[in-house]
Amino acid sequence: MNYLPKNKLKHSYFNRILILIIVFVLGAIVFSLIDSVIISSVSPLWKTENIVIKKFQNWNSIFDSQKKLWEENTFLKEKVSSLELTILALSGGKTQEEVLLELAGRKQRPDTVISTVLTRPPQSPYDSIVIDVGFRDSITLGAEVSLPEGPVLGLVSEVLPRSSKVKLFSSNGEETSAILERGNVPVTLVGSGGGNFKIALPQDVAIEEGDRILSADITGRLVAVVGEVNVSPTDSFKEVLAKSPTNIFSLRFVFVTP
Amino acid sequence: MIRRLFGSLIILISILFLPYWVYVPFLFLGIIFFPFFWEGILLALLIDFIHGAGVWGPSLLFTSFGFSALISLIILLPIRERLRTYA
Repeated sequence: MNYLPKNKLKHSYFNRILILIIVFVLGAIVFSLIDSVIISSVSPLWKTENIVIKKFQNWNSIFDSQKKLWEENTFLKEKVSSLELTILALSGGKTQEEVLLELAGRKQRPDTVISTVLTRPPQSPYDSIVIDVGFRDSITLGAEVSLPEGPVLGLVSEVLPRSSKVKLFSSNGEETSAILERGNVPVTLVGSGGGNFKIALPQDVAIEEGDRILSADITGRLVAVVGEVNVSPTDSFKEVLAKSPTNIFSLRFVFVTP
Repeated sequence: MIRRLFGSLIILISILFLPYWVYVPFLFLGIIFFPFFWEGILLALLIDFIHGAGVWGPSLLFTSFGFSALISLIILLPIRERLRTYA
């Protein structure tokens, strides 16, 4: 059996490592130049995929039993009436808020664009989404992305001609200034992926499960809901785990405010 | 060669349409299974550029899938070589 001399073997390793590094650097450069082209060309396929999945879900529901449908119907009716009440409760507050904003000369901008979500977690491992509006629809970098119901989700981080990438506030390591509604305490939400956040709060700050965390801007929109509070008696801080008010894995439509 | 091409194609399709818990294991299996799978770096970079948030800096570079694929391939080079030599 023939063995390669040690020096020759090392030389071959270095050559291969060099090739891999060159592939990495060139790949990063090329992809940074053509990623908009790739996303634009794949977007129609993502749209088709969304349509197919929706059709399949509808078709699948044929096989649901009558009892299950009846239960679902009752549950949905209850949910609708509960939501109607919530809307009524909120609308008064919203009118007050609008009056206040008008008095302060800070009216909300009406130029909101509705958009379809093309890719969402878990397709993306980074808690980012791709939406089907871009700079041709007057979307700008840093535009706010929210749910049709109001809660804020994230900011536009890259704008392409007909699509944009949105970095969700829950992206790992992403820090967002917010206000804890109970006691109006300013907090920093740290994204931990999967629509979750972590907050470190001093022990003496009152907080309970279900408390709302609002955006730090003048509109004070919902950003997260407190899910769990971990208190250790030896620690001067308590760890709060919060979650996005919506299931980010099933996002379909979002509003973008340029 | 055909198996390698077919494997790359499957990984590419899964990156575009399937959840990350499908394509990330596929990618790293490809890196382990195919010898000197440099295409893995390109596929991993594709994940970063398509699904990433679009802001690239030194901190993001070192936590990217592309960088992880590069490091995995570099680590696997001598291991694969030794496995073959003594096989």
